[in-house]
Amino acid sequence: MLFYGMVAVYYVMIVNILYFTIMALSYRNISTIYRRTKYSSYNTLSGSELVPPVSLLVPAYNEELTIIENVYCLMTLNYPTYEVIVINDGSGDKTLPVLIKEFKLEKIQNPEIRGTIDTETVRGIYHNPDYPQLFIIDKENGGKADSLNAGINFSHYPLISSIDADSLLEKDALIRMARMYMENPEEMVAIGGDVRIANGCLIENGAVKKISLPRKIWPMFQSIEYLKAFLGGRIGWSHINGLIIVSGAFGLFRKDYVIAVGGYRGGYPGEDMNIIIKLHRYMLSHKLPYKVAFCPEAVCWTQAPDTYNIIANQRKRWGRGNLKNMIENRGMLFNPKYKIMGLITMPYNVLFETLNPYFRITGLLALIGYTLLDMTHWRILLTFILLNFLSGYLLGVAAIILEEIAFRRYKKISDLWKMLLFSALKFVGYHQLGVLWRVQGHIQYLRKNNSWGTMTRQSWKEESETA
Amino acid sequence: MFSHLIVAYIFIFICLGLIGLGIILLFLMKISQNKEQQLREMYEQKHHDYFVYIQTHLEDEKALRLPPGKLKPLERRVIQDKYMEWIEQFKGEYRAKMIQLCRDAGLVEEDLKALKSFRYGRRLGAAYRLGGMRAGEAVPALLQMLQKGKYNSLLIIIARSIAKSAQRPEDVIEMLRTLLSHGKPIHHLAADIMLETGLDTSGLLMKLLDDQDPALVKVGLVAMWGQAVPEVMPVLGRLVGSEEKDVRAEAVKLYLSSNPTLKDETIVQLMSDRNWEVRAAAAKALGPLHAAGSIPLLVKALQDANWKVRHSSAESLAALGEAGFEALCQAALSGAGIQREAALQRIELVMEKKQEHSAIEQMVAYNKKRLIHDRYFGVKQQPIKRMPGIAAVGGDYTA
Repeated sequence: MLFYGMVAVYYVMIVNILYFTIMALSYRNISTIYRRTKYSSYNTLSGSELVPPVSLLVPAYNEELTIIENVYCLMTLNYPTYEVIVINDGSGDKTLPVLIKEFKLEKIQNPEIRGTIDTETVRGIYHNPDYPQLFIIDKENGGKADSLNAGINFSHYPLISSIDADSLLEKDALIRMARMYMENPEEMVAIGGDVRIANGCLIENGAVKKISLPRKIWPMFQSIEYLKAFLGGRIGWSHINGLIIVSGAFGLFRKDYVIAVGGYRGGYPGEDMNIIIKLHRYMLSHKLPYKVAFCPEAVCWTQAPDTYNIIANQRKRWGRGNLKNMIENRGMLFNPKYKIMGLITMPYNVLFETLNPYFRITGLLALIGYTLLDMTHWRILLTFILLNFLSGYLLGVAAIILEEIAFRRYKKISDLWKMLLFSALKFVGYHQLGVLWRVQGHIQYLRKNNSWGTMTRQSWKEESETA
Repeated sequence: MFSHLIVAYIFIFICLGLIGLGIILLFLMKISQNKEQQLREMYEQKHHDYFVYIQTHLEDEKALRLPPGKLKPLERRVIQDKYMEWIEQFKGEYRAKMIQLCRDAGLVEEDLKALKSFRYGRRLGAAYRLGGMRAGEAVPALLQMLQKGKYNSLLIIIARSIAKSAQRPEDVIEMLRTLLSHGKPIHHLAADIMLETGLDTSGLLMKLLDDQDPALVKVGLVAMWGQAVPEVMPVLGRLVGSEEKDVRAEAVKLYLSSNPTLKDETIVQLMSDRNWEVRAAAAKALGPLHAAGSIPLLVKALQDANWKVRHSSAESLAALGEAGFEALCQAALSGAGIQREAALQRIELVMEKKQEHSAIEQMVAYNKKRLIHDRYFGVKQQPIKRMPGIAAVGGDYTA
């Protein structure tokens, strides 16, 4: 029992050393990110005909409360040529009618759909020449991946960007990503943006006017969590071309390669991770030079779930999606053919993300059991708990430092106190719940529970009023 | 056992120490950033009258006055930022006055010194500002910095500064050559950087199109989109026959966009080019050129493996009067697969445009097409395309 407990202690230390290594890589790159953010001017680029046109794909399922504001936000980006394609995925609410009414849309009689990826039936495509860059695809319910595929089939431009309907892009977000793409157009197959929590911010006319931290605890924990995952993790993984996910909330992709890998995988959550794994696999199998990058200065603000049930559903779904992706792509594990992905990212993800809850829970149980047998060994238990807490907290502090070096979105000293406090509080309950949700997600996977769960949206106006 | 615990203790103490240091660092950073922000706002307020003076005296013949009093470093930076903002916004004489003001205030000299700093961050900041101030004297040092650097986003910042500051076309070309020497196909980005220059663009484009390096030629071609530069047309004619696939494609697209007169053999040659971009550009141009003799070629191109070529051919056929439209209808009726699909889509689009034909002549042309259409297809409308589907699940799409 003691032996297993000590194995768990070492496991925690190794996990954290790996986290620190990735964090160190993020630190290595942060000065470059800061400088390119500070010294890049987008005035000329955002009006240049030389910037590649982009199709923004916005899957929407029961988004009647937020969709209008979001579409307005997307139609006023600082970007020369782009189209907004909202895909109404058989919503049960008034998502389609509110869009038709607001933008005075009419059904296109014979729409031209060039793509050939299989999707659920498209019921119609709506357009108004007064808003030339806006198209609405109305289709049978088929899930997010299916909607994205329908969007790809209809899209007109060589780059596609997937954007969640509950998210708002900063005006320069897309042009920042495009700049990154233009710097290496041959190799860049996917670029992920930085997702931040909008709860608590003041939203006006589809844009974040005043940035504040969330007031409610669930979004606040997520805010801290996203900061750590995106700045502390993805900058580092991107540096070694080992990114395993580009958030579904905001990412830019080369359409030809997305089509080459068969589009998004439908029928199961985790499609955002799956498409990236497929892209890695395809490019490495065909020995093509490529890069999956993270662009932290391209920011997307999203509405985070603010009740226990919704966040629990979301995390279980993520847990399920992660497990499914790992099992589906097990052939890449420790396979030198897949380079960084096969030798580092995938093993890391399986050992330290997918299986993490089991090591931690069983290790803790073993140490509790050992301590109960002989209470004089309480120190070992305390050491295990302290190790978990302090190393995790250190990573949280390190992520906040990255934020302060390069981005400085939260101006007040009180924000800093709040972030530090919640980075610590996260380990008293929230962290453990995260472990539990992940295990429950795995159980759902084994029981073949394939549902997405429920999600309620709040209008951006209400969100701002409560802020 | 104890040795294991000692390892864990060491780990814990290291974490504790780093957390303490990190928190102290965070507060120091936050306090200093907030203080700097406050000072910036204060200086902007303090020099408000001076900024108004500049804006109201830009038209004066006299040189603009320097900011009053002895300035602190941050104060100078605030004023410099404002100068640079105006240089970016203004053109011609106003811009020249602001550039001179930067020189008179010693800002250019200051940043030229900073360009020799040991710290890369300082050098880069200086390079950015020198570009903002259009400091021609900084170009040799900036070019050196560009040549020594590894290819990344920061190199682009230096390249933009060179383009902005360059006084001679050769410097811009040297900058582009260095940028492209890293082997990345960044022609669009390079063209965008090049267009930041204050030099005469047409002269620069001529030099680029005449260069031996195909990469530079391509930058020139890409930069020409949206620019009316008649003097480069003869060079374009030569580049249409270039050995380089990409160069040829870009040149053909540009050449055809100027509505030139094409010989029959040139049309045949372009429509059978190995590069789909050339075929598509040729197909697209034939309609507006009213090249009715090319109808058989366009009908054949409806079977092209590339969608863009098929689409452009159908578009041109529809634009070639009744004969072209009839050929399109024939292809839709007697053709198969992709040929039929491309023809049908275009026919539907033409038929949908009924309401747009307000002028009498257009109405007559439309009605003639309508008659041809009805002769081939009757009056029945094509049903909306339905896509085959697979079973999938739906739900919320959070993050």
